[in-house]
Amino acid sequence: MGAVTVTLPSLLDPATGGVREMAASGETLREVFADLLAREPRLKPHLFNEDGELRRHVLCFHNGTNTRWLDGWDEAVAEGDTVLFMQAVSGG
Amino acid sequence: MSVRLMVGTGKGGFWVTSDDRRAWKVAGPFFKGWKVTAGLRLSDGRFMAAVASDIYGPAVHVSADGEKWEQLSSGPAYAGGGERRLREIWTLRENRGVIYAGVQDAGLFTSSDGGASWEPVSALNEHASREAWMPGAGGLCCHALLFDDTNPERMWCGISAVGVFRTDDGGATWTPRNQGVPAALEDKRHKGIGTCVHGLAQDPDEPDRIFRQDHLGMFRSGDGAESWERNEEGLEVVFGFPIVIDRASKYLFAVPLEADQYRVPLGGALQVYRSTDAGDSWHSASAGLPAADAYGTVLRGAMAVDNLDPGGVYFGTTSGTLHATADLGESWTNIPAILPRILHVSAWVG
Repeated sequence: MGAVTVTLPSLLDPATGGVREMAASGETLREVFADLLAREPRLKPHLFNEDGELRRHVLCFHNGTNTRWLDGWDEAVAEGDTVLFMQAVSGG
Repeated sequence: MSVRLMVGTGKGGFWVTSDDRRAWKVAGPFFKGWKVTAGLRLSDGRFMAAVASDIYGPAVHVSADGEKWEQLSSGPAYAGGGERRLREIWTLRENRGVIYAGVQDAGLFTSSDGGASWEPVSALNEHASREAWMPGAGGLCCHALLFDDTNPERMWCGISAVGVFRTDDGGATWTPRNQGVPAALEDKRHKGIGTCVHGLAQDPDEPDRIFRQDHLGMFRSGDGAESWERNEEGLEVVFGFPIVIDRASKYLFAVPLEADQYRVPLGGALQVYRSTDAGDSWHSASAGLPAADAYGTVLRGAMAVDNLDPGGVYFGTTSGTLHATADLGESWTNIPAILPRILHVSAWVG
C-alpha cells in the first residue's frame, strides 16, 4: 500500500489547524481519499460535495495530472506519489 | 461595560470591541479569505462561527477565547443523492440547550450535543410545499429563527422568498404563517408561501408579538404570526433587510432601502428608522450617519443589539462601514474601519 504525500492549500488552514502536508495511504486514488478523510474528517465538506464528488471548483492533481482527466479514482498509486489539492482560480 | 462585536465579512471575521461604546478597537481578520456568515455565543461561553467559501463550502467553528478556533468535525450537512446543497449557514441560535443552524439551500439543522453532531429538521426541510420554494436574489435560505420562552413546543423560522413557518409541536410539523402578507411569487398549488421575509424581531416579553421586515413592506403580528398587518407609518420607503428590537426599551430599528431593483439608501442618505411605539409609527433616527453619497446596503444579518440599558445598536454595510449607537439611535458613531462587505454582526456584552 503506497504512502502518498497530500498537499493542501493555505485556505484550508482553518480546517486542518494549519497543516498543509499530510500522509495518506491506499492502492488507488479512491483509497487515498478515504484514508485522508479518515485522518482529517474536517476536510470532507471542503473537498467533496454531498455526492462524494470533488467540489466544482476544487482541483486535484495526482503526480501533476489533473484527476478530472482520469477515467476515475481507481487509478493506482505508488509509494512516493503526490496528490495536490488547490482551488480553481481564473479570471479577474 | 465592554461590548464585543463579531463582524462577519466576505473576506473574514473581525472583532470590534469597546469598553465604553465610544472608542472602538478592530482586530482580525480571522478566517481570512472566508465568508463569516453567522455568529453565536453559546450558553457555555464558547463562541461559534459559521464560515463559507464559494470554493470550499461551509463549516462551523468553535472557540473558547475568540482567538483559537477549531472546526467542528461534523457540521450540518444534506445527504447525497439529490440536488440540495448546503452552501452557507445563515443563522446560528441556541435555545434550551439545542443549537439551531438555518442554512442555504433552505433548511434547518439542530445539535443537542454542543455541535458534535447535527440532525436535519426533516418536517421543515422536506415540507410538502418544498417543491415550490424558489430562491430569491439572496438565494434560498433559512435565515431567521424565533423561540417562545413560554412554550418549548413553539418556534418560528423565516425563509427568504418562501415566508414564515411556525411549529407548535416541537418541530414535528410546520405550517406557513403569512396571512396578510402579499406573495412576491405566488404558487399555483401551494398557498401560503411565496412571501419573502427578510428579517424578524420579537417582543422579548410577548413572544407572539412579531415584527417583520418583508420584501414587500413592514409588517407585524400580535397573534404569533396567525395574521399580519402593515405598520409602515412614517417610512419613506418600506423595503429593507434587518429589523432588531432593544430588550429594555422595546424600540425597533430598521434600515429602509429604495426597493427593490436598487436596494440602496434612498438618495444616498444612510438612515436608520426607529419605532418607539411597537411599530405604530417610524421616524428617522440617523444623527451622525452619512447623510449623502452613501450607497451601501445593510444585509439581513448585519444588524444587532447589545441589550444594555440604554441599548446599543450596531450595523455594517456592504461597503464595509460599521456604525454604532449607545443611546438607542439618538446619535451614531461611524467606527473608523473600512472592512470587506459586511454580512453579519453579533453583539455580546463582556
